Amino acid sequence: MKKYTLLLFLLLLVGCAGGNAAANHPDSSNEMEDAAAASDAIPTSWDDILAQAKGQEVNFYMWGGSDLINSWVTGYVAEAVKAQYDITLNMIPITDATEYINKVLGEKQAGKDGDGTVDLVWVNGENFRTMRQGDLLYGNWAGDLPNMAYVNAADPSVANDFGFPVDGYESPYGKAQFVMIYDSARIAEPPKTIAALVAWIKANPGLFTYPAPPDFTGSAFVRHVCYEAVGGYDKLLGEFNQAVFEAEIPACWALLNEIEPFLWREGQTYPESHARQQELFANGEVWFDMAYNPAEASSLIANGRYPETTRTFVFDTGTIANTHYVAIPYNSPHKAAAMVVANFLLSPEAQLSKAQPENWGDLPVLDPALLPAEWQAQFAALPRGLATLSTEELAAARLPELQASWLTAIEQGWEGEVLQK
Amino acid sequence: MLAPALAVVILLFGGGLVLALVQSVGYLPVVGEAGFTLAAYRTIFTDPVFYRSLLLTTWIAFASTALSTVLAVGGALVLRPHFRAKRFFTFLFQLNIPIPHLVGAVGILFLFSQSGFLARLAYLAGFIQTPAQFPALVYDRYALGIILEYVWKSSCFMGIILLANLQSVGDEYENAARTLGANRWQRFRYVTLPFLTPGIVSSSILVFAFTFGAFEVPLLLGQRFPSALPVLAYRLYADVDLQARPEAMALSVIISAVIAGLIFVYMHVTRNLRL
Repeated sequence: MKKYTLLLFLLLLVGCAGGNAAANHPDSSNEMEDAAAASDAIPTSWDDILAQAKGQEVNFYMWGGSDLINSWVTGYVAEAVKAQYDITLNMIPITDATEYINKVLGEKQAGKDGDGTVDLVWVNGENFRTMRQGDLLYGNWAGDLPNMAYVNAADPSVANDFGFPVDGYESPYGKAQFVMIYDSARIAEPPKTIAALVAWIKANPGLFTYPAPPDFTGSAFVRHVCYEAVGGYDKLLGEFNQAVFEAEIPACWALLNEIEPFLWREGQTYPESHARQQELFANGEVWFDMAYNPAEASSLIANGRYPETTRTFVFDTGTIANTHYVAIPYNSPHKAAAMVVANFLLSPEAQLSKAQPENWGDLPVLDPALLPAEWQAQFAALPRGLATLSTEELAAARLPELQASWLTAIEQGWEGEVLQK
Repeated sequence: MLAPALAVVILLFGGGLVLALVQSVGYLPVVGEAGFTLAAYRTIFTDPVFYRSLLLTTWIAFASTALSTVLAVGGALVLRPHFRAKRFFTFLFQLNIPIPHLVGAVGILFLFSQSGFLARLAYLAGFIQTPAQFPALVYDRYALGIILEYVWKSSCFMGIILLANLQSVGDEYENAARTLGANRWQRFRYVTLPFLTPGIVSSSILVFAFTFGAFEVPLLLGQRFPSALPVLAYRLYADVDLQARPEAMALSVIISAVIAGLIFVYMHVTRNLRL
């Protein structure tokens, strides 16, 4: 008996080693060849792509922290692509984009170049840059989508993702703009500039905090303070410059350290994520929240998590706005279906549905000037939620994003200079 | 008979450990690194953040284990003699064992945060007027919330083990000691405790090793900085910059080495303590 178990054990080892060897040599396996052939043969005509997409499944990896967004994707979007294109959409929620980046990376390391598990990802900024650097994305397909005709290709905030050229590697999904959230029952007139906010924090200790970078929202707030402390964002635009970073950014750390003793818990700790910050605001421990989605406060009022008197504001000097996208990993076996889904997400009906506050409230990425007249009227008539600012107010106060390398430097700097001091 | 189970453990767990070790010494072909280098370990051992996290993690593990041991011994002694509702209370004592630590951590948040259930009771009773007046038990520098959660789970876990130990030993020795004139404290110190010691040592090493390497409770209830070692390792692993990967792996290897060392101590000590 002992001899047989030992033999079994050895066979198991050899089998695994052999399997790894096969994965590392794609030409030695027929399965790999077929998959590789299939992914190479993405047709050029849209009708052929639609035909190939029929019956395929799309695994859509997206940030799952908002029940509202999740319901819209698994409800409206999944039903529509099933009915119109016979595509099965599987929404896979993740907490952070690094989860699917690691997945695709792992598959690339294991040699799975034609049968990855990730078909479509919701991505922007640093994560897009990481995936491009690791050669993890399928390329140059976005320009061929029929609905791209409604997007203003010349708009630099759409053609560039945090300063990194898109080049057709991702398709626009929506726009976001940073807003501050407060309870109008507690604060009659919110401070509309960073300087006024600093004064408010000092006068009201313990009632303000922000999520710790590298949380997306917290990182954005820190950047607003940096824009102010440095004296204008134009000094920081363009490629990352170590000399400029060392000369200008310390003013930002000085300002953040100045307010630190007056923050929640005297600045000894910061909320780990935006979700924690939302809990603090909902429970009344802090009196300000912040979000990248101008309609988020309205949605939270609608589902009873935030008080009815919650309102939003933007700084007089403006707030950061950006575009978010969907992209296709290089090893997806269902690229045609993924492209069809991306095209659907870019369609006027999907963008209109997405912009409804009860669905998501995300700003549309289409240029109204390029849309047919009846769509223009519908977009103009979009209802605003209770706490959402008007499109004009938001558009008048837009600041650009910095390149992703600046973000990483600022986030690491914050940890070293503000958090650990 | 052991070979199939051993095979699974060696392949999956050992395989993971080997991969972590390999990546920690610099083998990361996907970003173009393929050399052998101890740079990741050097970075960690020269980083004051690592030592602060190490101190915090050791404190959490030590305090949780010590408190759990005291409560477990007390609980086992209370539940040992026969009394009317013994079955019911023993059942209650074991009730939290199947509850995951994650759920326990969320429960601690609901109960003990400054705007949690107890804080609201205190507000209704007029003891406090604002959330900030309630003592900070979560996200605090002494990791009180984390220790509370671990003690809640581990004391019952250890208690059940010690109760089983005591029940298997029986009470003839203590009765003999009583007839020889030993008082309660002497009976405990010279008779009961030596019987309990192997159980205490083995289960407290287990609890220490677990709380040292556990991740979800410090992530939910801990301060942002310094954070426990496993949380630090996870943050490095999830870093957008893939160059941080070897450091994450090195930290994981270090944590595993500490725990392996503790298991080694456990085996050595239990061998000597066998009755």
